[in-house]
Amino acid sequence: MAEVTEMFSAPLTFNWTLSYRCNFVCEHCYSRDEECPELAIQDIKRVVDILVEQQVPFINFGGGEPLIRKDLYEVAEYASKRGLNVSMNTNGWLLDEVAAQRLKDVGFKSVGISIDSSEASVHDAFRNMPGSYEKAVRGLDALRKVGLKSTMSSVISRINYQAFRELLDLAREHGVNQVYLHNFKCSGRGLKNREELDLTPAEWQAFYLEALAVKHQTDDLTISFDDPVIASLPEYQEKTMVKGSSCGKLSLHLRPNGDITPCGFIPVVVGNILKEDFEKIWFDSPVLKAMRAKEATGKCAGCSAFDDCQGGCTARAFATTGDFNQPDPHCWK
Amino acid sequence: MNNPLRSPDIVWRVEKRRQAEVLKALEAGEDVDDSGTVILLQSGMMHQLNLVGGLIWQQCDGQQTLAAIAAELAREFSVEQEEVESDVDEFVTDLKERGWLING
Repeated sequence: MAEVTEMFSAPLTFNWTLSYRCNFVCEHCYSRDEECPELAIQDIKRVVDILVEQQVPFINFGGGEPLIRKDLYEVAEYASKRGLNVSMNTNGWLLDEVAAQRLKDVGFKSVGISIDSSEASVHDAFRNMPGSYEKAVRGLDALRKVGLKSTMSSVISRINYQAFRELLDLAREHGVNQVYLHNFKCSGRGLKNREELDLTPAEWQAFYLEALAVKHQTDDLTISFDDPVIASLPEYQEKTMVKGSSCGKLSLHLRPNGDITPCGFIPVVVGNILKEDFEKIWFDSPVLKAMRAKEATGKCAGCSAFDDCQGGCTARAFATTGDFNQPDPHCWK
Repeated sequence: MNNPLRSPDIVWRVEKRRQAEVLKALEAGEDVDDSGTVILLQSGMMHQLNLVGGLIWQQCDGQQTLAAIAAELAREFSVEQEEVESDVDEFVTDLKERGWLING
């Protein structure tokens, strides 16, 4: 397609971290060591107003743990009443039936819960929180009971890549219709713990081939991947809105103080939504421009897959090399 | 009522900057039939409507009859209503078949 900004006057999604505070210390977390001042509710509503004005259709609260902020409900209600489609990702610890009903009442369209293993002990150890599996599953059931759409997010790593089918079965058992098999990011604690958690490129290739085969045979569950490196596989036939990473093209990330980064995994601030003109950031940011027009570097130069994968995950390349244009370290080619 | 209504399952927006550019190109006599100005998002898929389709789409609020939509389109492009009626009818029928429009 033509240059992203020729078509899109704003991103489709803002992934919004209201707070980096969290009740968990997960092994892979990109943000556990982040510290950032948080906006007051009045300023958060101003941010919502800007997003509405810019016609951003979706916001997804992440974190940190979104439910840590007591005014999440007020924020979500304000945003949904102004026409935004509101969702979030949570670890599920604070998500009982009362909370699920409140989330539904204030207009959440869907809620995603992170579950990394169908074995409670494995999940709890990964999340460094005894009892977290049970509460996460209870959260899924609570969402089902109140009639709020649930999704399940599983970050693929060495602890679960050979047992992803069991995760799909777990989703089925608890009324989940969509499972995100997220790719492992080498950011924050994910970078520190990379050696224990990350797969080798050959293992990633084998995982995706297997997962794609399962996806093609599955019709009762939507299985989603968000990893641009997968586009280099001929078996991957999905039509995506943009080539390569979607961050900076279809989505942006908001930090708790209103700073904008291309995505949560790239700690490069391109502006502040409350202090600068959003359109200037979206159309003119040199960082965003560079991410939208990546140059084939290293082994990507001359690679026949580059047109499709655009060098793979920009966040991973940046985290490991400091350069957006370097090849994704997960690439098997 | 059979007035066309946008499906609530579809998220959409007018790409205003894009639309302005397409209008400019139209005034310059360029063919803009394949230039999207409205995006529709459904189940993770994006579809685009061109200028004419986008203008029809924006009027499909369940209140406007096909004739009223055609009249508005004719006024927008300074043509006779009869000239656009069949286009409007065809477009709305197509989008109803896709489930993007429903009966209001």
